[in-house]
Amino acid sequence: MASSSTAARELQKELEGKANDLSKIQKDISKNHQVRKKYTIQLGENELVLKELDLLNEDANVYKLIGPVLVKQDLAEANANVRKRIEYISAELKRLDSTLQDMEEKQNSKKEAIYKLQQRIQSLQAGKAKA
Amino acid sequence: MIGHNIQREQGGWAMGEPVKGTVTSLSSIYSPEDAQKASVRVQEQISEHQKQVQQLQGFLNDNTNLVNLVKKLPDQLHHDIMVPFGKAAFFPGKLIHTNEFLVLLGEGYYADRTSKQTIEILKRRGKDLESQIENLNAVIKDLKYEASFFDETATEAAEGVVEIREDYVDEVSDEEEKDTPTPGEDDFARILSRIDELEKEEMESEMAEEAEDEDKPDLSHLLSHTHIEPEIIHSEPKESSALPVSKNSDSDLDLSSNIKAPTSSASNNTLPRAVEQKKLESLPNTPVSKNEVLSTRNDSSKAFTGSIVEHTHNTEKSQTSQPPTPASKPVSRFKMRKK
Repeated sequence: MASSSTAARELQKELEGKANDLSKIQKDISKNHQVRKKYTIQLGENELVLKELDLLNEDANVYKLIGPVLVKQDLAEANANVRKRIEYISAELKRLDSTLQDMEEKQNSKKEAIYKLQQRIQSLQAGKAKA
Repeated sequence: MIGHNIQREQGGWAMGEPVKGTVTSLSSIYSPEDAQKASVRVQEQISEHQKQVQQLQGFLNDNTNLVNLVKKLPDQLHHDIMVPFGKAAFFPGKLIHTNEFLVLLGEGYYADRTSKQTIEILKRRGKDLESQIENLNAVIKDLKYEASFFDETATEAAEGVVEIREDYVDEVSDEEEKDTPTPGEDDFARILSRIDELEKEEMESEMAEEAEDEDKPDLSHLLSHTHIEPEIIHSEPKESSALPVSKNSDSDLDLSSNIKAPTSSASNNTLPRAVEQKKLESLPNTPVSKNEVLSTRNDSSKAFTGSIVEHTHNTEKSQTSQPPTPASKPVSRFKMRKK
């Protein structure tokens, strides 16, 4: 009787730990979502800039706001910079996607483990009730 | 939420029972509170999206105002304006170089542009905003449908509507299906529409005959539709042989020996036969179509979305009286199709 109750307590502890892990993972996932949202917005903005830059004439004056000052930039340079930025952002998005997938897998496995634990606790309790 | 409900619904079916069907009260599948909650959630989503639309609409208005301003600015060499100075102070000043704009392209990039070029950029942005608004509106429309569906489910569950599921067993139809291959519903509809078309053409050609008008282009148009063998129309000797045959035929059309318009008479003769043949073909199909109507209800992969309004106190009766209902149903459906 005493051993079963200690076992139940242990299981309960394990369950709590797993639940904490799960909530941590879920937090990470939501953080990931937020970051991704930010990046997608930036990607859209950069694509808009690229489109406008493509439409500009060769001799158009382009400036970049760096801190409080506007710095004049070559159009070609600006174009290259924006392109690079887009590349970087898409790579980042891809990375975020893969990590998200990873995390979701982890989440699912954790959920399953928790479910199993709950079942075990329930069966233990049922056994106790019978005894 | 939705997925959860569907799972519960599938759990609710007692499939594989020897009984004819199962009756589950809708409220046991979807509890009214849950449905209500779902609908509330969807409503929240809708209002969120509507806020976004309003925001975008505000941007769009700003944009159009800006376009108007930018259009107007180069009209004069300089404008007298109040220049903001700090947070609270203004002092009078002049706006010069009225055709030079420094446009923010995004991401900290600026470009020197003229008024016209600026307007182009702004218009492109406006278009982008419009498409975004359109997308959001489409999403809202979808969500509204969803919300109304949830609401309906909630009210139905609250009213105590029951869901009746019956496995379709095709025992009756087997012999019938052997001699007449079951056409798909599409085929059937097509045959019907073809009959209508042929009848229409018949009427037209009759009218043409009555008028005794040799409206050549019209006739050729008719002929092209009725698929008559070219020999009948064009070659003279065969035409004469074709006419007696058609007189013997069961078509009760008055075949005047009007050889002036042989083409039209020929077309008249062949048409009714075709129509009757089609009709004969289609008649034995009607019982088959009943089966199809039944089988569409049997599609168990789809969620039951129709509403059967029956109140709980006569559930047992309704279960026994159910089998005849599908028999009466195809008639209306048939008529519906015809219209």
